[in-house]
Amino acid sequence: MSKIFAVATNTIRQALRLKIAVAFIILLGILLPLMGSVMVGDGTLQGRLQTFVSYGLSLTTLLLSMLTIIISIYTLTSDVAQRQIYTVITKPIRRWQLIAGKLLGVILLNAALLTLFAALIYGITIYIPGFVDAPPDEIARANVEFFTARDGIKPLQTDISDQVRQEFERRRSADEIPDEVLINPRLRQREMDSIRESLRLRERSASSGHSLTWDFRNVQPADPEQNIYIRFKYQVSDDPPEGMIHSRWQIGDIRQMQAGRPETPIYRTERSDSIRVSHEIAVPADAIADDGYLGVRFISSPQNRTVVMFPTDEGIEVLYKAGEFASNYFRAILLIFIRLVFLAVLGIMAATFLSFPVAILLCLVVFLTSIASGFIIEAIGFFATDSVERLYDFTIKPLIYMLPRFDTANPSEYLIPARLIRWSLIGEMAGIMIGVKALILLLLAILIFSYRELAKIVV
Amino acid sequence: MDYVIETFGLTKSFSDMWGREKVLAVDSLDLRIKKNEVFGLLGPNGSGKTTTIKMLLGLLNPTAGNSLILGGRSSDPKISSHVGFLPEESYLYRYLSARETLDFYGRLFALPAKVRKARIEALLDMVGLKAVANRAVGTFSKGMARRIGLAQALINDPEVLILDEPTTGLDPLGTRQIKDVILKLKERGKTILLCSHLLADVEDVCDRIAILYGGRIQSQGEVQQLLRQADKRQITTGPVTEETLEKIKQIIAADSSEFEVSSPMEKLETFFIKTVSDAQKQQRKTSGAINSAKIGDFLAAGAVPQKQDNILDKLVSKSKPKSKQEETAETQKTKDTKETTQQPEPDRELLGRLTHKDKEAEPDQVTKKTNARREKQSEPEKKEPNKDILQQLTNPGDKTKQRKDKDSESNE
Repeated sequence: MSKIFAVATNTIRQALRLKIAVAFIILLGILLPLMGSVMVGDGTLQGRLQTFVSYGLSLTTLLLSMLTIIISIYTLTSDVAQRQIYTVITKPIRRWQLIAGKLLGVILLNAALLTLFAALIYGITIYIPGFVDAPPDEIARANVEFFTARDGIKPLQTDISDQVRQEFERRRSADEIPDEVLINPRLRQREMDSIRESLRLRERSASSGHSLTWDFRNVQPADPEQNIYIRFKYQVSDDPPEGMIHSRWQIGDIRQMQAGRPETPIYRTERSDSIRVSHEIAVPADAIADDGYLGVRFISSPQNRTVVMFPTDEGIEVLYKAGEFASNYFRAILLIFIRLVFLAVLGIMAATFLSFPVAILLCLVVFLTSIASGFIIEAIGFFATDSVERLYDFTIKPLIYMLPRFDTANPSEYLIPARLIRWSLIGEMAGIMIGVKALILLLLAILIFSYRELAKIVV
Repeated sequence: MDYVIETFGLTKSFSDMWGREKVLAVDSLDLRIKKNEVFGLLGPNGSGKTTTIKMLLGLLNPTAGNSLILGGRSSDPKISSHVGFLPEESYLYRYLSARETLDFYGRLFALPAKVRKARIEALLDMVGLKAVANRAVGTFSKGMARRIGLAQALINDPEVLILDEPTTGLDPLGTRQIKDVILKLKERGKTILLCSHLLADVEDVCDRIAILYGGRIQSQGEVQQLLRQADKRQITTGPVTEETLEKIKQIIAADSSEFEVSSPMEKLETFFIKTVSDAQKQQRKTSGAINSAKIGDFLAAGAVPQKQDNILDKLVSKSKPKSKQEETAETQKTKDTKETTQQPEPDRELLGRLTHKDKEAEPDQVTKKTNARREKQSEPEKKEPNKDILQQLTNPGDKTKQRKDKDSESNE
């Protein structure tokens, strides 16, 4: 262990000697405070906070990711290229110990730098409300909608496979489906999927004057005194005048409304909201029924003259406080750290058999692809034709699944809507990205490095 | 007999992109190095010396065969903790200071802090870098880096020391010191594998040598035995006057046997070159440079064939090509005797020449010993060669070697 640690300390020294590390540190040290004072977002305190945290964390993550890739590759390739490895590996140190030492050095350095910048961003974020001298109502809003950690529940989805089958049968008897679709199971499945999509869309669309109702179950806020929030977003078929949708909402135990004598209060509100942006309706927590049920009804005003749709992912959701901002922020930083650990292992792995520039290129490709991995999976799946799809299933698809899913664990996406990052998410990310993917890469790295000839061929 | 370093049919071939065998760098090499032996691995550039060492240390994987150090694999920490290695250049972390460098390597051996600190200070003292111990080694001259390299190789007090061209870039004092270290370690029962093409160094310290060419051992054995020429006789005397010399000649002519007689020694240099050119005559493949022993016309202009293989002699008699022919075999032998019977002499000579003290005395001595005929030489002619010597000392390496090669070639 002392040997691994000796290599690790040397790696940190080596990294700090790289001008790029110091440059990044200085850059962040200047940029973060500057961003804190300059960025205003939409002008409100909350917008300002959201903009700063989002951009600050993204910038830090990006620069630290780059730094991790560069350092982890450099520390091994330069040792081999400049041949310090000759005197190191001939000492009583196993090759895996050298790899472990290098990795530990990069990770320790990352941990230190991430702690430094995370603390800086946190300090600035906490300081912003006092700095901008915000009015009390904005501060109050920021406190409940930003400086908190909220959990969210999505509406219950009913099983519609029966309806899908019925619709398919209806279309078949109406001769709307071509014969080749009926024969080819692949095309048939695709047809079923598209029917399912259109039925789901119908479920969350309302033309003017019509209403939509959602059921939420197991809504259990930590503090019943606090408000709960209905977060929603509109999409429309035709843009309404001024881009505003007028609506009425009923929130509470809607089941009892039908019975006639509600025991828990039902809150009603009339609103006008812009389209394509998330909005929140604050409702006292006593609207929730004793069994954890909450009903939400949306009634589109007849003057809208358009079909209002709620998008699948962020269409509608109930949010309630489930934790504190500080601990949530800490978990967000952990998510970034997991990503950096993965990149460190990736860099070391690439460096065990590639030269510096090639390894950098490989890692950047993986890094950039990972940021957009969700999109890439979708895009390739969508465009693939029947024969290509089969090829794709056995080649690119498994490779893409091996990529880290940076887009699904983006800390900004949690911190901006003040959404709770569950420990289970941290565990899942750590398990998949470090416990499985990084571990495979690390074993691969050790395997390659153990059999690799470290001396150059000089004859 | 237990061998400390053993190789069994060690082979390394490098192939091109398509897997075709291009170069056989080391060709079924069988080395046996005994405990407490200073073993010299010699060979021209590209003869496979360094490749052999890299395979011994696991930096290259052998194509065939295998090697043992202390009866085990060098990658085993139990083995490598008893091995010291100085690569052909000291590859150091430029940003670490001399002390930090040694500390880092000490930690890799997991030496206890107390032992580590004590050894670092002792080694810094030994290699003469204590005054600059806190300076980054990136700012060191090549010789200084070499010294740190040596210190690094000794930090674990190794049982086996593998030195690849240990004296390159070192000043004569540093060279002497490395040789002293080698001899001292030998006294303490350590085993040393030395790989070099600086023959004087090897001759001074090695018990046994192997000469490599084209990745094969061309010749190996004990230095003393390899260099002995049994078919010649050599007479060793104290200082003698001209008259005595004449008398000796007469006596020898009359076939007297009163004198101390021993087998003369061939210079290692001559032997080395003979071995390599023999190998070349057999058209053995080599991946390294092939010395033609020719010097470019512009360099060779004015050079004359010489009988002696000693630079000093050559320089002294430079302007007197005729007198050379008059030289008797006897005089040369006298000189040879002087060289071989007093082994540490060359280094004292080097030191002396560096400090300019014995500069004049040295050629004088030779002149006196060789023949009276040299008395004809005028003073300026004597000084000329001395300047040359200094030049050669300040540009060590190839130039000197080439001259030597040329001398011995013409000698044959």
